[in-house]
Amino acid sequence: MEPIIEARHLSHTYVDGQNQEMTALKDINLSIMPGEFIAIIGTNGSGKSTLARHFNALLTPTEGKCLVGGLDTSVEANLWPVRQTVGMVFQNPDNQIVAAIVEEDVAFGLENIGVPGPEIRPRVEAALETVGMTAYAKHAPHRLSGGQKQRIAIAGVLALEPKCIVFDEPTAMLDPKGRKDIVETVLKLNKEKQITIIYITHKMEEAILADRIIAMNQGHIEMEGTPKEVFTQVDRIRKLGLECPLAAEVANALQKGGHKLPPILTHEELCQALCPSK
Amino acid sequence: MLTEITLGQYYPGESVVHHLDPRTKILGVLFYMVMVFLANSPLSYGLLIAFLIAATALAKLPPGLLLKSIKPLWIIILLTLVLHFFTDPGEVLWHWKVFTITKEGIIMGIKMSLRLVLLLLVSSLMTFTTSPIVLTDGIESLLRPFKRVGVPAHELAMMMTIALRFIPTLLEETDRIMKAQMSRGADFSSGNIVQRAKNLLPILIPLFISSFRRADELALAMEARCYHGGEGRTRMHELVYQKRDGAAAFILVLLFAVLVFLRWGMPA
Repeated sequence: MEPIIEARHLSHTYVDGQNQEMTALKDINLSIMPGEFIAIIGTNGSGKSTLARHFNALLTPTEGKCLVGGLDTSVEANLWPVRQTVGMVFQNPDNQIVAAIVEEDVAFGLENIGVPGPEIRPRVEAALETVGMTAYAKHAPHRLSGGQKQRIAIAGVLALEPKCIVFDEPTAMLDPKGRKDIVETVLKLNKEKQITIIYITHKMEEAILADRIIAMNQGHIEMEGTPKEVFTQVDRIRKLGLECPLAAEVANALQKGGHKLPPILTHEELCQALCPSK
Repeated sequence: MLTEITLGQYYPGESVVHHLDPRTKILGVLFYMVMVFLANSPLSYGLLIAFLIAATALAKLPPGLLLKSIKPLWIIILLTLVLHFFTDPGEVLWHWKVFTITKEGIIMGIKMSLRLVLLLLVSSLMTFTTSPIVLTDGIESLLRPFKRVGVPAHELAMMMTIALRFIPTLLEETDRIMKAQMSRGADFSSGNIVQRAKNLLPILIPLFISSFRRADELALAMEARCYHGGEGRTRMHELVYQKRDGAAAFILVLLFAVLVFLRWGMPA
């Protein structure tokens, strides 16, 4: 199978306010297959958002290549096909909703790519249905909760029927309820609609849901693997300034104390390992 | 508290007037304004007033609502009336020292202030029965033909849409900043006007900074959703003229014909 997104020796440098050349990304090599759920973790300034913005040509590599569905993002003519293939949901739900009525906002992307008027409505309705916001189609966005607004933003991206969606810390500004709704929606998109997910997050409980985790540090990929492979290396994760899920930390401490345990990520697994009778 | 402000003066309803195409209403209002200046006899003014009353009744607006829209301009209306009373030359009715009231002055004063009131009322009738969002669609659609001569129709409409979307958000933010500054000891309610204006600075600066940040993020999000200006853009709701728009246009043209006849057709 062809990878949907491929980075080949991708580097990105920019000139900052003091005329200093800064390297945000250096020599990234990465292949993402269709249907994968990938979590990108890393501290602030580790380059994870910068990397994600290369995936839908909001940024282009200063060196190397980024291919989306086989198309080079640096080529001007590929810009709109690339952005239709890879959608993006941002952190602040307020700053990505354009229109003053929910359904108009969901239609925004479709209007931009010139879908004929009568075809827009069914696609808007389908997108709202998927995120469970059909009842709010005629509402004003500013009256909705953060989690609801974020689901509207997802619907707006979904209406374009992308093959892949990049989420840039979508739950960072939400309350626990909103966070849960968004995580469930993301999982649903991945499992039911087979949409490739690239999920940037600070929250390790969300990252462990992914098929593959990419840990970034100072502009390069530091670790890569399944959640188990990554989070069982507790000391390395700590060195990156990140925290492992609590259960993994406890398991690690027990292992250091001489207990034999399998790799552990969740509370359930920890309980099972410690008290196998249950 | 600030977020309770409603935008514009839209009075939601399901009447025929509410459902008229926004373009019909905008053009109708402009046409009515022309007719206001065409009228020159008591009968023609009577017809214009009757039309307005009928339209208000049809829109099922509370009668007092429309009259309230005169309020902000009542000083100007009164001034028009009084100035004409005392300054127009003609047959003297009353004279005291430098003050002279003439018959022509009274007629002219009433005519001019009546025109002002009618202009105000008819435009309020439109804004009461058309939501700002629909009005924006109407304006965009009407300006589109002028694109060739450089009128940025789509850009104007997009700006209005974004403004409508973000005004409540920014009000909310202002509220938050005010509370944050008050908790740091800022005082917004005492001192003279200059003092108070100065006190607003700690609200305005954070508000400006955050607005720029929002604009930046919004632009990015719009680009990510394939926005590239009005070129090749379609709309979910295309405006379509209905039978009722034809009926409204017919009534207006009829009114126009009658007014033209009253002005030029009648033997003097």
